[in-house]
Amino acid sequence: MSENYKFDTLSLHAGHIPDKETGSRAVPIYQTTSYVFNSTEEAASLYNMEVGGHLYTRISNPTVAALEQRLAALEGGASALACSSGMAAMHLVISAICSSGDHIVASSKMYGANINLLQHTMPRFGVNTDFVNPNDPEAIKKAIKPNTKLVFGEVIGNPGLDIMDVPEIAKICNSKNIPLVLDATFNTPYLMQPFKHGANIIVHSLTKWLGGHGIAIGGAVVNGGNFNWGDKDKFPTISGPHFALGGISFWEEFGPSALIAKIRAEGMYNFGPSLSPTNAFHLMQGIETLPLRMKKHIENTHSILDFLVKHEMVEWVKHPDLDTHPDHEVAKRILPKGSGSIVAFGIKGGREAGKAFIESVQLASHLANVGDAKTLLIHPGSTTHSHLSSEAMKEGGLTDDMIRLSVGLEDINDIKKDFERGFKAVKKLNK
Amino acid sequence: MIINFKGAKTYIGTGGKSLDNTKKTLCFLHGSGQNHLSFIQQARFFAYKGYSVIAPDMPGHGFSDGNPCKSIKENADWISDLLVKLKLKNVVVIGHSQGCLVALELNRILKSTLEALIFVAGSNEIPVNKFLLDLSKENPQKASQMMVTWGHGIDGDMSINKWPGHSHYGEGNNIMSMNKSTALRYDLHSCDDYSDGIDAAKNIKVPALAVLAKNDQMTPLKSGLKFVELIKNCETHTLDCGHFLPSERPMELNSIINSFLLKLK
Repeated sequence: MSENYKFDTLSLHAGHIPDKETGSRAVPIYQTTSYVFNSTEEAASLYNMEVGGHLYTRISNPTVAALEQRLAALEGGASALACSSGMAAMHLVISAICSSGDHIVASSKMYGANINLLQHTMPRFGVNTDFVNPNDPEAIKKAIKPNTKLVFGEVIGNPGLDIMDVPEIAKICNSKNIPLVLDATFNTPYLMQPFKHGANIIVHSLTKWLGGHGIAIGGAVVNGGNFNWGDKDKFPTISGPHFALGGISFWEEFGPSALIAKIRAEGMYNFGPSLSPTNAFHLMQGIETLPLRMKKHIENTHSILDFLVKHEMVEWVKHPDLDTHPDHEVAKRILPKGSGSIVAFGIKGGREAGKAFIESVQLASHLANVGDAKTLLIHPGSTTHSHLSSEAMKEGGLTDDMIRLSVGLEDINDIKKDFERGFKAVKKLNK
Repeated sequence: MIINFKGAKTYIGTGGKSLDNTKKTLCFLHGSGQNHLSFIQQARFFAYKGYSVIAPDMPGHGFSDGNPCKSIKENADWISDLLVKLKLKNVVVIGHSQGCLVALELNRILKSTLEALIFVAGSNEIPVNKFLLDLSKENPQKASQMMVTWGHGIDGDMSINKWPGHSHYGEGNNIMSMNKSTALRYDLHSCDDYSDGIDAAKNIKVPALAVLAKNDQMTPLKSGLKFVELIKNCETHTLDCGHFLPSERPMELNSIINSFLLKLK
């Protein structure tokens, strides 16, 4: 009997059915590099991509495939590919679509490594990017050139928490026959499924909320299957003859899954950013509780927002669910369950106050990650950006009093008490 | 490959190999609202085994332009003319679902060209309920989504796929959305209207193979088993999956077809 299983059920089950031989309820960890071929004919079939299957773990692995199929199900995509990190996922997408001489339009308000890759690394290989305000669809439209091959942005920007108006930007991309590629790490499919809003390709850092426990680095590309790659002049390595497999046209042979087929045949084969089966298992364990965790993340975030907004030691608070946020209306429309659990706030007293706060809290962990089940904090002014002046930080959209908070799942009163400890230290400093 | 056929751009999947009309040709016929991508894991497999393969997108389906055919007979005539245009001889016709009905009609039309018939998730009749017929007109996208859900067995529900990382539902919905909006409606009406299947099945003189699916909700196993009884000496296999057998059990299906082909002279 066929069922359309719901999100919570798919989070637990998608991608795996217990096998008849062992009955293993959990997804087995296939910790193997390679797979025995039953015949030379079978081996050839796998190498030629005649049929699906596993030949070498750099290309695919049964445990990793279970994770991929779970992600495809949760996002409503045609296919997915898991890899070693979110950055690997982004590079795999760009290198699959773009060649030297091509152009990208990207959000100017993104994670530093995303900016670095597009601004400094890709130009060395002849792929240039124009950065535009993600909240300005007209600017995105104007930036698109004849050689533009994709538009890239983050649904919820890191660290500025800008919200992309995905349906509006998707319309622009669709009218120009350009794929909209979104980093959906901060929203996860629980808060928003970008394909339903017209996006074409999603990249995830699985390390964050999807994995959720800060124990494994991983990334993924999820392919909506809703983009027409048939323009051979524009996307010659996807729809035209490719050097691999005797001049294969991935578009003709794999249709909706052309991009993932190409990434597996070229990106994974030639670059090799594979995800270890054990990390795939850890990440899947996290996904099993994603709906429960995201609900609690949002509940705690809303409670801590209320606490911070009213607190005498807090200068400002930034989160898209606050009506003071410039993208609040867009957030309400496309992220009705909540806009994630990252909060930025400023402490009265500037850079020194921020430092004192961070060094005084006990429960919240001071580190560079986000999306852990535990509450995390970082003060860019005294750590990642300590080498910059206040003016230089402002140019990058940061202030020296800013604390970036990743709200965890602890009892909310314990988090508040911990923060009061930090504020007390700041008060002493200000005296 | 793309050819101009009957005044329209027509796409014919060849499994990644050039078409060679001196070889035995396997002609894959897709089902209602589908296209050549139904046979992703068959076309390349058999092309790389040395067969000549054609998996045409019927008019208005997949990459083919033109208006969708409005009856099973019209579909069969179109394929028959295509085989003539491509100068193909020694053809084994492999139909999936609606493609099986077209194959039955091709058995009437093709004479010496037809070497064997293979029916995948087929029957001599495919009645379609009124709700789905109406929905295919009012909301073809919704009708497609329902067919994709009904058409798959538990592998679809659980996002299990022999092809690593692929989703039956996600791929299935997008494959169906590649067609003209009228394609599904005409296909479903063609199936529902077709009533010559019993006679056509009884008249099969060439070797025949049927591969049925245990959990088929589109052409139920019971109907498929009655169908094969109409065909003289039809080799029959049943696999544990849903209607979309070519993607749900590709290796098993390919192995059965391969063994059958090797037995042909």
